[in-house]
Amino acid sequence: MEALSFFAISWVSPELLALTALGTFLGIYVGAIPGLSVTMAVSILISFTFSWDVNNALCLMVGVYMGGVYGGSRTAILLNIPGAPSAIATALDGYPLAQKGLAGEAIGLSTVMSVIGGFVGIMVLAVAAPVVSDFAISFQPRDYMLLGVLGIMLVGSLSGNSLAKGILAGAFGIVIGTVGLDPLTAEERFTFGVVDLWNGINPVAVMIGLFGISEALTQLHYMDKITVKQVIHRIVPKWKDVKRFLPLSLQSSSIGVIVGALPGTGGDIAALMAYDYAKRTTKNPDVPFGEGAKEGLVAPESANNAAVSGAYIPMLTLGIPGDAVTAVFIGALFIHGLNPGPLLMIEQPNIFWFTVGNLTLANLFILVFGLTGIRLFSKIVECPKGLLIPIIFLLSIVGAYSINNAVTDVWWMLAFGVIGYFMKQYGYPVGPVILGVILSRLIDENWRRAILSEQGSLSGFFGEALTSPLSCVLMVTIIGLFVSHTPLWTGRNKNKI
Amino acid sequence: MHQSTRRRPGERLFGLLVLIASLWLFWQAYSIAQFSSLSSSGALPLAATAIMVVSACLVLSHTMRLPLTPNVRFVRHVFPPIVGIVVALIFMFAIMLEPVGFLLSATVFLFLSMTFLHRKGWVVSLVMTWASLVLVYCVFRLIFKVILPEGIIPERELMAAVSHWFNAFF
Repeated sequence: MEALSFFAISWVSPELLALTALGTFLGIYVGAIPGLSVTMAVSILISFTFSWDVNNALCLMVGVYMGGVYGGSRTAILLNIPGAPSAIATALDGYPLAQKGLAGEAIGLSTVMSVIGGFVGIMVLAVAAPVVSDFAISFQPRDYMLLGVLGIMLVGSLSGNSLAKGILAGAFGIVIGTVGLDPLTAEERFTFGVVDLWNGINPVAVMIGLFGISEALTQLHYMDKITVKQVIHRIVPKWKDVKRFLPLSLQSSSIGVIVGALPGTGGDIAALMAYDYAKRTTKNPDVPFGEGAKEGLVAPESANNAAVSGAYIPMLTLGIPGDAVTAVFIGALFIHGLNPGPLLMIEQPNIFWFTVGNLTLANLFILVFGLTGIRLFSKIVECPKGLLIPIIFLLSIVGAYSINNAVTDVWWMLAFGVIGYFMKQYGYPVGPVILGVILSRLIDENWRRAILSEQGSLSGFFGEALTSPLSCVLMVTIIGLFVSHTPLWTGRNKNKI
Repeated sequence: MHQSTRRRPGERLFGLLVLIASLWLFWQAYSIAQFSSLSSSGALPLAATAIMVVSACLVLSHTMRLPLTPNVRFVRHVFPPIVGIVVALIFMFAIMLEPVGFLLSATVFLFLSMTFLHRKGWVVSLVMTWASLVLVYCVFRLIFKVILPEGIIPERELMAAVSHWFNAFF
C-alpha cells in the first residue's frame, strides 16, 4: 500500500504531471533530431535542475529518457536517419514502409509497440529490482569494486572497435574522477597545487563537454545532408495489426529488458538482437525483411523501450550504470543527494516506487504525444543544423556556467568537448570516460575497504575472492572479457573459420 | 570486436600524445603516495594511469602498423576549417562571457555562428539570434532562475524598470 502511494506521487501532483509530460515531449524531439542525443539532453538538464526538488528533476529527466529512446524511431522512419542509436534497427524496415506511403501507419505501430515494450520493462523492473536489491545487500566491498571494473570494461568493449581504446577511455575517466582532495585522507590528487582543483572537476562539466560539445562539433561534418520529405496519412494503427504482432512484441520486450539490464549494453544492442530474433522466427512475413516488414519494426521498437526499464535495475539496485545515459542518470541522483545501490531500496523505497510510477506515466505520455502532432513534428525535425547547432553550444555553455556560477566549468567543458571530438574522430569511445568518472569513487572506496580488511595483502584479497561464488563469477567474467579480445583468442577463432 | 584496418590522418600523432599524457599522469600519480601501500590515496590513480600507459602503448603500436586511409585528409575530413572556426567562436564567447556579460556575448556568438553556418544572410541570422536568445533567456534566466553574468549591460536595472513599467500599466 505504501509502495502504491509512492508510485502515485507524480500521478496526483499537477506540477509533476506537467513536468513528466514536458520531459517526454522534449525527449521525443531531442531523440528524433539527428545530432541531439538523450545523453546530451540529460547532461545539460542536470546543470539546470540540480537546485530543484529531487522529484521535479527526476520527472523531467525520466520523461526525457523515455521519450528520447522512442523519439529516435521517428526520423528513422521518416528520413532513414536514426535519431538515436537505439533506432538503427528501426530504420531497416521503417524507412521502406515510409517509401511505400505508409509512414503514418509505421509511426503509429512503432508508438503502440514502444508503449507495450515500455510496460513490460516497467513490470519486470518493479518485480526484479527488490529481489536483486535483497541479494545485493550481501555484496562485499570487493564485489562492488569488481562490479565497477566490469561495468567500465563492458561499456568499453561494446561501444568502440577496440578494447584497448575502451579500457584507456575508462581509466582516463577514473583519473578525472580522482582529481581533488582524497575524501579519506585529504591528500591532494592531480591538483598540481591549484586550489580550484581541490573540489575536483565537476562531472556535469565533463558530461556536457563529452556528449554535448563534442557531438555538436561532429555534426558540423554533416551540414550539407539533404533531408527527404514523406507523405503522412493514417497514424493510428489497425487493431488487427496490434493483435497480430502482440506476441512478437512481448517476446521482443523480454529480450529488451534482459539485454538492457546487463551492464554495458543498452537499447541499441537490445533492438538489434530483437530484430535478429524476429527475422529468424518469422516464418512467412508479408514482405521480406529489409523491404518494409512490419515485424522488423515491431521487434526493435518493443525491445529498445523495454531496455530503458531494464537498465534501471542495475542502476537503482547496485549503483552500476549500464551505459552512458544511465551513468549520467546516476550522476544526477548523486547530485540530488541520493545514493543508488541496495541501501536505496531500504532507506528510500519512495524513490524507487516514485521512479516506477514516473516511468509508467512517461510511457503513457509517449502514447499521447506519439500519436499526435506528427505533421508538425516532421516540419520541426527539418530545422536547419546551421540554426540548431549554435543553440546547442549556447545551452551547453549556459549549463556549464550555471553549475557553480563560474567560468572555470565552462573551460573544463570546452576542454573535454575538444578532447571528446578527437576521441570520436579516432574511434575512442567516450561512454567509458563518463562511466569511469562516476564509478571512480565507488571503485576507490571499495578497493581500499577490501584491501584494508585483508591487512593490505593482495594474496589475501584474491584468496578471499576465490572462496566467494559471486566474486569468482565477477572475476571470471572480467578475465573472460579481457581474454576474448586478446590476439590469442581472436587468432584461434580466425583459424577455426 | 571489429578492429579498424586503416588509420586516419593524424591518428599516430594523437596516439603518441595520448601516450605522453598517460606517462605524465602516471608520474603525477606516483608522486601522490609512491608505492607506499595498496590502500593509499595514490593506489587507484596509480593503477588507472598504469592501465592508461599500457593501453596507449597497445593502441599506438596497432595504429603504427595500419596503412593510411586513401583520399582522407586531416584538414578536410578530421579537423575541417568549419570545426576550427566554430571552436574559435566558442572560445571567444567563453572569454567574453564574464567581462562583457551573457546577453551581449551570446548575441555576438549566435549572430556570427548562425551567419557562418546557416548562410541565409545577416537579416535572417539577426532575427533568429534574437528569437533564440529571447527564448533561452526567458526559459533559463526567468523560469529556471539561472544566474548569468551581467557584464556591461545593467540587466537588473533594466528588468526592474520593465517590471515597474508593467506594474504601472497592468
